[in-house]
Amino acid sequence: MNEPRENKAKELFDDSVDRLDAATLSRLNQARHAALEAAQGPRSMGVWGRWVPATGVAAAALVTVIVMRGPDAVEIPSASVTDFEILLEGESLEMLEDLEFYSWLEASDLETNGNVG
Amino acid sequence: MSASAGVFAVSCIREPSTRACTLQRESQLNQFLAGVERRALRIAEIAVRDRDEALDLVQDAMIKLVKNYAGRPDDEWTPLFYRILQNGIRDWHRRQKVRNRVMVWFGRGGSGDDEYDLVAHAPDPAGRTPDEELQTGEAMQRLETAIQALPARQREAFMLRTFEGLDVAGTAVAMGCSDGSVKTHYSRAIHTLRDKLGEHWL
Repeated sequence: MNEPRENKAKELFDDSVDRLDAATLSRLNQARHAALEAAQGPRSMGVWGRWVPATGVAAAALVTVIVMRGPDAVEIPSASVTDFEILLEGESLEMLEDLEFYSWLEASDLETNGNVG
Repeated sequence: MSASAGVFAVSCIREPSTRACTLQRESQLNQFLAGVERRALRIAEIAVRDRDEALDLVQDAMIKLVKNYAGRPDDEWTPLFYRILQNGIRDWHRRQKVRNRVMVWFGRGGSGDDEYDLVAHAPDPAGRTPDEELQTGEAMQRLETAIQALPARQREAFMLRTFEGLDVAGTAVAMGCSDGSVKTHYSRAIHTLRDKLGEHWL
């Protein structure tokens, strides 16, 4: 590889690399950062990300127990069981973020039904 | 690398999952990619004769290297990166062939104006203005054109050995072939270029 012609070819190539325009260098820079960020994506969830589904199911189960064995030991209407089935489905885990609201809603429904009945 | 950095690097190999080690690895990757990206772009550009396509190929190679090989020793990164890039370039050429066949099938190939014309894309691979192009020098243009006319494997061997400076073993990793094949492809490329360029290659 030390032939003068190969060395000349390398010189010509290096010169063409040095002549890359600013816009191209900027795009390369952006591409590099995009690549590094793309690789960070899945890692950002870290160890906790793997526990999200299990935590969701556990929280839903806990709510079920609390409601069924609550202080007043109220009878659960059949519609509520359906609600919890929905809650336990994987796609509905985001609902668990508003657990407090759903608990309140459940309590309100029971109270309303009790008043009516 | 300083002594403290060396100790830190060793501790990172033992416990690679710590946040500090992850940041250090990302910094090393960033440094590696920044050092190789411009030559990689020109190599890809000579191979596909289109700067935008070359940029996409280089970015894809960066992403795949970071995602799949970040944990490998950093002295393996250069041949691995070029292997990914060369695979991308080969895929690109395959797609172009299919595309050209489809265009011919639908009657838009042959001498039609819409045919993808490699020669038409060749004159300004660097994307410079006419004035800048004049300054670039005819020598590189001639060399580039001659390299583009080489068979794909010879072109790969020549660019990886001559432009990137990989040794035979590194080039073999990058090309996914044996050392002997690299030597054969490289030797043939050199002879073809000498025959084609003659006294101009100086």
